[in-house]
Amino acid sequence: MLPGLLILAVFVFWPLIYSIPLAFTDYSVVGDMHFVGMKNFQKAFSDSDFIAALKNSIQYVIIVPIIQLISLAFAVALNQKMRGVKVFRTLFYFPVITSTVAVSIVWSWLLSSGGLINKILLGTNILSEKISWLSNDQTALWVLMFITTWKGVGYYMVIYLAGLQSVPGELTEAARIDRASSIQIFFKILIPMLKPQVVMCSLMSVMSAIKVFDEPFVLTKGGPGNSTLTASLYIYQKGFQNFDFGYAAALSLILSVIILFFSLFVKLYNRKK
Amino acid sequence: MNRKIKKTFTYLILICISVIMVGPFLWLLLSSLLPNTNVYDFPYNVKLQSFSISNFTGVFEFVDFGSYIWNTVLISGASVFLNALIASMTAYPLAKLNFKGKDILFTIIISAMIIPSTAAMVVNYLTITKLGLSDSYLGVILPTSVTIFNIFNMRQAFLNIPDSIRESGRMDGASELRIFFSLIMPMVKPSIAVVVLFQFMASWNDFLWPMIVLNSTNKYPLSAALTMLNGQFAYNFGWVAAGTVLSILPTLFIFVLTQDMFVDGVSGANKG
Repeated sequence: MLPGLLILAVFVFWPLIYSIPLAFTDYSVVGDMHFVGMKNFQKAFSDSDFIAALKNSIQYVIIVPIIQLISLAFAVALNQKMRGVKVFRTLFYFPVITSTVAVSIVWSWLLSSGGLINKILLGTNILSEKISWLSNDQTALWVLMFITTWKGVGYYMVIYLAGLQSVPGELTEAARIDRASSIQIFFKILIPMLKPQVVMCSLMSVMSAIKVFDEPFVLTKGGPGNSTLTASLYIYQKGFQNFDFGYAAALSLILSVIILFFSLFVKLYNRKK
Repeated sequence: MNRKIKKTFTYLILICISVIMVGPFLWLLLSSLLPNTNVYDFPYNVKLQSFSISNFTGVFEFVDFGSYIWNTVLISGASVFLNALIASMTAYPLAKLNFKGKDILFTIIISAMIIPSTAAMVVNYLTITKLGLSDSYLGVILPTSVTIFNIFNMRQAFLNIPDSIRESGRMDGASELRIFFSLIMPMVKPSIAVVVLFQFMASWNDFLWPMIVLNSTNKYPLSAALTMLNGQFAYNFGWVAAGTVLSILPTLFIFVLTQDMFVDGVSGANKG
């Protein structure tokens, strides 16, 4: 137990503890550390880039209910006894096991203005002209949200599948005899039965949505403009490109408080129900 | 009859979703097997004789892909082994032993999950540099050698094991360590499989932290090398596609190996 706690202490708790005093300094690689009081926090709230980044990170939370509903639906569909179910499970899970880098390379090709997606949409007359999905500030963030959803549903699907195994089959059978529709069964029986899993998955999903970093980092670097800049990406830029460690620490503290707030909200919301 | 239609319909929808989920990868595979691919020229003019593995040999010959793969194997292997061992050893007392402050300790550990990883990264980078570990594999591996997620997972698995097992071991005169390794550990195999799979995926696919710690690009793992490759050889779609396919295969392999234990392991973790 000790080696585990030691590693956690150094690489998990020390960052948390140390970033608090760090946030009140102007520490960077060059020069000494000075105490600057609340200056970093005052700067943060008048920093229009950071505000834009926060807005994008919070917009990202929209995908949480969407991911959860889709992965629940997938899990229910693949919990039936039918041939080939295992193959489908593997196929649906496939995007989860691949790296964000690999996924990003494929999607950046597919989504570029001369790419396959545009060809399909033009060919079927859904679009009348090409859209460069990732370099258009109206679409870029939504496209990233789509890719995150696509990559994430399999992950939660497996957790729900595991949960469904403890739901007795007689329950849905009985409902079906009472002529409940599949949709009624889904919302009135399965979701309440899976509540512990739904709460846990929503929590994880909310946290990773606000913290989102990989997709914008690899695919758009925050652009065009600030349209896909997220809070984590901005903290990274401040810390590792400007080496403004004190300011980066202050921004992380603000982000941590926001994440805490959202997590508490998810927890309380579910308790009330 | 009605049933048959319903069944066909279900399969049809499932196949459509599969195309969305796996289609991009099949297209990637196809692109990697065609020499001189231009990914914007789809639909490709595919003839059976035009398939070749020249992109794959090219990647090994000109980009030294072999050494990137070796780097990745080293980093992920060490990380998986350490996580399976340390997470279990840390989680076991939290689940089974009685000591003061146990629940508080666990709550503190779990609540640390809210820290954004980029935030921790800044401080961890300073720590690694102070320890003199920058540009070393140890510097890459150490911060990820045990994760809270894995500790949580293993704790849930240990909670499901009845106390009587431990007592019977003690009656036979086995030491606490012996009980742990020869009685308890074999019982949590599915959860170990989950830890192995998730940790392997995480470290095999991680690119940011290795890129921060390692200054020498020849020490890069695959994902980091791939970002570099995509920048340098962006015009050579075939090579990038081949490299991407190669980077996916090992995780696919591990997933297929652990798949059967997988759903059991996840359900074990969620019972608590």
